[in-house]
Amino acid sequence: MLIERTWKKWVYFYIPLTVFVVGTLFPFYWMLITAIRPDAELYRSWRAATNTPFWTLQPTLEHFRDLMAKTTFPQWLWNTFFIAVASTAISLFCGLLAGYALARLRFPMAGTLGTSIFVTYLVPPTLLFIPLANIIRTFQLGDTPWALILTYPTFLIPFCTWLLMGYFKTIPRELEECARIDGATRFGAMLRIVFPIAVPGILSAGIFAFTLSWNEFIYALVFLSSPEKKTVPVGVVSELIRGDIYFWGQLMAGALLGSIPVALVYSFFVEYYVTGLTGSVKG
Amino acid sequence: MRRREFLTTTGLAASVAATGLESIVAARRAPAFAQGTRLNILRWVDFVPACDVELRRQASEASKALGAEVVFEFINANDLQPRITAAIQSGAGPDIIMMLHNWPHLYANGLVDVTELGEWQGKEQGAYYAQSEAAAKDGARWLALPHGIVGLQFAYRKSWLEEVGQTTWPRTLDELRQVGMKLKKKGKPMGQTLGHTFGDAPAWSYPLVWAFGGMEVDRTGKKVVLDAPATLESVKFMQAFWKDACDEGGFAWDDTSNNRAFLAGEIAATLNGASIYIAAKRGQEKIKDEKGEPMVKDIQHGPIPNGPAGTHGYHVAFSHAVMRYGKNVKLAKDFLTWLHGKQQFAKWFEVAEGFSVGSTKYWEQHPMWERVDPPMKIYRQAAAASRMIGYAGPPSARATEAYTKYIIVDMYAKACQGTKAEDAVKWAAGELSKIYG
Repeated sequence: MLIERTWKKWVYFYIPLTVFVVGTLFPFYWMLITAIRPDAELYRSWRAATNTPFWTLQPTLEHFRDLMAKTTFPQWLWNTFFIAVASTAISLFCGLLAGYALARLRFPMAGTLGTSIFVTYLVPPTLLFIPLANIIRTFQLGDTPWALILTYPTFLIPFCTWLLMGYFKTIPRELEECARIDGATRFGAMLRIVFPIAVPGILSAGIFAFTLSWNEFIYALVFLSSPEKKTVPVGVVSELIRGDIYFWGQLMAGALLGSIPVALVYSFFVEYYVTGLTGSVKG
Repeated sequence: MRRREFLTTTGLAASVAATGLESIVAARRAPAFAQGTRLNILRWVDFVPACDVELRRQASEASKALGAEVVFEFINANDLQPRITAAIQSGAGPDIIMMLHNWPHLYANGLVDVTELGEWQGKEQGAYYAQSEAAAKDGARWLALPHGIVGLQFAYRKSWLEEVGQTTWPRTLDELRQVGMKLKKKGKPMGQTLGHTFGDAPAWSYPLVWAFGGMEVDRTGKKVVLDAPATLESVKFMQAFWKDACDEGGFAWDDTSNNRAFLAGEIAATLNGASIYIAAKRGQEKIKDEKGEPMVKDIQHGPIPNGPAGTHGYHVAFSHAVMRYGKNVKLAKDFLTWLHGKQQFAKWFEVAEGFSVGSTKYWEQHPMWERVDPPMKIYRQAAAASRMIGYAGPPSARATEAYTKYIIVDMYAKACQGTKAEDAVKWAAGELSKIYG
């Protein structure tokens, strides 16, 4: 009996978990190894007897130094952070109000409107960048961070609204009604009762919006032109890929450093994130 | 440099009668551009980093002389087309954009007529290469101003070829295959991508069609003639060459893969720009051969060997286009006249050390060619033997469409993956007919 349970644990839990963890973390490990691998090893043949593809015996910080000294990576990092935080804040604000209204208020076409908002999220950004470029030109926002801060919400708000709408629906109306009976206005009840309970949902929407803004490429490529105004995804690709030569060490160093803020945000709020996606308050 | 000197160097007033520069010079004062005027130029990130440094230096010089801020933006070559599309559609973006291949034909409606500049450059710097003209000229109208050409040649390991008894670069495609067979048997195959890559795959596939006498369309550019015995022969050659001589992982290679494979000592030869040689030279302390010597000493370049119909390379022409939506058209033209003038271009040309050559034959006589490393000398006249995509028709946007859909590349890829040569050719001809039909 005990033996059977042991092998079942291995087959159904440990082995799948190991495969999952290795599959998930291997790209990061590969990034790290490439970032600290000296150039001589990067150009060593896979068939070479001395080849050690999965580790390095001569780790170096040379690529990190070059990244910091020869490119404006710290500036790109700051630009990305500023743009991601600002567009996330705008999207969350709009998403919260829209999500609450669609979940709680009764008005004609509310359901259709909710679905329509989600459908707009499904339009590929690669199709939207041309009309958006037109709008950016009209408002003379080209080559400013505001070009991105105001365009990212076009795909972030629908997602935040949809996610938060679902979350608000899991919060019992009775809680809000109690507050209304005790004299709170609708806005007061929303602010003091519903939103605090919805913190996991708000955080998960925020994290998702932040990640999407952080990694976005096509709008950042099209709307920003000055090297000092670029974001990490565009700056790294522009400066560290020269035709058919990739500066792999610096590219991986940039990718690694660029993913740290997102990883930190996730690690701090992972429990809220999971709860936010699954819904915590059951009626 | 002062404004007066700037105008003198850009000057060439007599030969640029129609450009407006004459009037500037006649007025004996610099053009008055509104304060705060900015001229944006979008280019690819150059394969030779020093070239971008030189352009930035020249931009600073031009800014002072023109009284307007001249700013270069460099992005990855693969990202140029989304930027061009967005800029033209939205009517906003860089004032000048670098065009590769024959893109000027594709974006003709969004470009300013620069015929006067094209004719001035041709007069000042000798006859254009046919490739430059085909890329940027539509009939009598210059759509963009040719700037240069990136040559593509085979980079190969001298010592490895010698190991199989080949002391010179093969002269015919059959000889290339024989040498490749011997090398592959020794675990040192040739490497060629047949993936959807912007440079190396088309630069091999198109010349292979031409080497056997094949053509995409006839001279009128209206009738697709790809489905012909010559094309079929070229596809059969490629099937055999692929199996006998190449690293068969090349289907998944992009433009970078053959560079890495070559520098890692995994392949003996590959068709490429001079970037492999330049990278090996720049990193000679790190990139060594199996004997521990700098690999650069063992690298040589050779042309695509002759087929039954000779050899014609595909070398990438590039030009500068003034965008129609721009508010600084005159400033853009003045700047291009200066940037492309002999004095300024020579500084950039020398920094490129042969990786990029001029758009006219004049630059073949430049003293730089006496100073460059011997393996780079082959690029001196390489551009003269180039044909434009869409051969034998006139340059057109349709040829660009066929190129961007990788029809010719896919014809070879399908055949090497197991499709019958006849079927691969018929498929490609059918796809071309949809475009040209």
